[in-house]
Amino acid sequence: MKKKGLIILIAVAVVLVVLISSVASSYNGFVDKQETVNKAQSNIEIQLQRRADLIPNFVETVKGYSDYEQSTFTAVTEARSAVTKAVDGGDVAAQAEASAQLDSAIDIWVNAVTEAYPELKADKQYLALQDELAGTENRIAVARKDYNEVVQQYNVSIRKFPSNIIAGIFGFDKAELFEADESAQKAPTVDFS
Amino acid sequence: MILVLSLTSCGKEKKQALPNATERFFVNDFAEILTKDDADKICTAGAALQKQTTAQAVVVTVEDLDGKEIDDYALELGRNWGVGDKEKNNGIVVLLSESDREIYISVGYGLEGALPDSKTGRIIDNYGIPCFENDNFSAGLTGIYNAVVNEVYIEYGITPQDNYIPIDLLPEKQVESPSAGKVLISWLILIALVALYGLIFGRRGGMFIFGAPRFYGGFGGHNNFNGGGGFGGFSGGGGSFGGGGAGRKF
Repeated sequence: MKKKGLIILIAVAVVLVVLISSVASSYNGFVDKQETVNKAQSNIEIQLQRRADLIPNFVETVKGYSDYEQSTFTAVTEARSAVTKAVDGGDVAAQAEASAQLDSAIDIWVNAVTEAYPELKADKQYLALQDELAGTENRIAVARKDYNEVVQQYNVSIRKFPSNIIAGIFGFDKAELFEADESAQKAPTVDFS
Repeated sequence: MILVLSLTSCGKEKKQALPNATERFFVNDFAEILTKDDADKICTAGAALQKQTTAQAVVVTVEDLDGKEIDDYALELGRNWGVGDKEKNNGIVVLLSESDREIYISVGYGLEGALPDSKTGRIIDNYGIPCFENDNFSAGLTGIYNAVVNEVYIEYGITPQDNYIPIDLLPEKQVESPSAGKVLISWLILIALVALYGLIFGRRGGMFIFGAPRFYGGFGGHNNFNGGGGFGGFSGGGGSFGGGGAGRKF
C-alpha cells in the first residue's frame, strides 16, 4: 500500500514537471517572439526618424537657391513633426499614417523645387541627399516587411492550441500588423496657381 | 472568368525562385556581359577582400528582373545567399539588369557606415554610368567593384589597392579607370628591367642564366592564378541586409 502511494506520488510529480516545463518553454517562446516583434518595430521607428532628420539637411542644400518653395515646404515641416510625435507615441498605425503623409509632402515639395530650379539636379549635394532619402525609404519598406513577417509568426503562435491557453493566462496579446493606407500614400492634388 | 483571373494572379504572386550563386560566388554573370579578364579580376579582388576583412562583395548580372524591383531583388539575393559575415553583416551585392538598364548596390547592415547611400550613388555615377552609357557593362562593373572593395578596405583600416583615391577626396566627376596605355607601359618597363637584369647578370656566370628564366616562370604562375579553376568553394557567410544602398537607371 505504501509502495503504491509512492508510485502515484512519483507519477504526479513527473506529470507536473512535464507540464510546467512545457508551459515554461512555450511561455519563453512567446517572450522571444514578442521581443523580435519589438525589435522589428523599433527598427521601423529608427528609419522613420532617420528620414525625418534628413529633411533639415535637404533644406540646407536647397537654401542656396533663394526661395525654396515655401508654400509646399510648410506641409513638409508639419508632416515631419507629426512623424516624430508618432514615433514617440509608439503606435504602429499612427506612425504609418504620419509617415505616408510625410512621403507625399516630400514628393510634392521636391517636385516643386526641382521644377523651379532644374539646375539642382546637377548639384552634388542634392544628388547625395536624394540617394540618402531613397535609401531610407527603402529601409523603411524593408523594416516594415520584416516587421509584418515576425508579427505574423508571433500571432500564429499565440493562437495555436494549446499554447493559446498559456498565452491567454499570461496576457500575450495579438500584435498589430503594419498596413499601408493606400489613400494616404497617394499624393493629394495641389493647386499651384 | 473571375476564377480564372484570380487563379492566374495567384500564380503570378508565387515567389519566383532566385538563382543560386555560382561556384565562383563573387562573380555571377548570368547575363554573360563580363569579359573573362574582368570576371577574373573581380574574383581575385573579392577573395582577397574576404580574406583580409571577412567582408563579401558579389557581382550579379541578370538579363531581367522577373518583374521585381531591382532594390528588392538585390536585397533578396544578399539575404538568401547570406552575403557577408553572419555576425558582422558586411556583405555587398552589386546587381545589374541588362534589359532594364538598371543597377543597384545593396549594402549590408554592417557596412552602412563605410558605404552610406550617397557614397554608393556617387560610386555608380563616377565609375559605372560613363561606361554603362556606352554599353560597356564589363568595365563599368569592374570599376564599381574596385571602388566598393577599396572603400571597404578603408573602413577596415587597410591601405587601399591600386592607388585608389577615396571617393570623398575625388574633386569632381571623373572616371578613374586605369587606361590600357598605362598598363601597357608599366608592363613594358617591367619586361625591359627583367631583360636588362638578364643581360647584365647573365654575362657574369652560368648561375644567373638559369636564374633569369626562372624569374619569367614566376610570371607565368601569376597568370595561372588569374585562371578560372582556382576560385570554387566560396559561399555566403550568412550576412543580412536592411535595404541600404543606391541605384541608377542608365
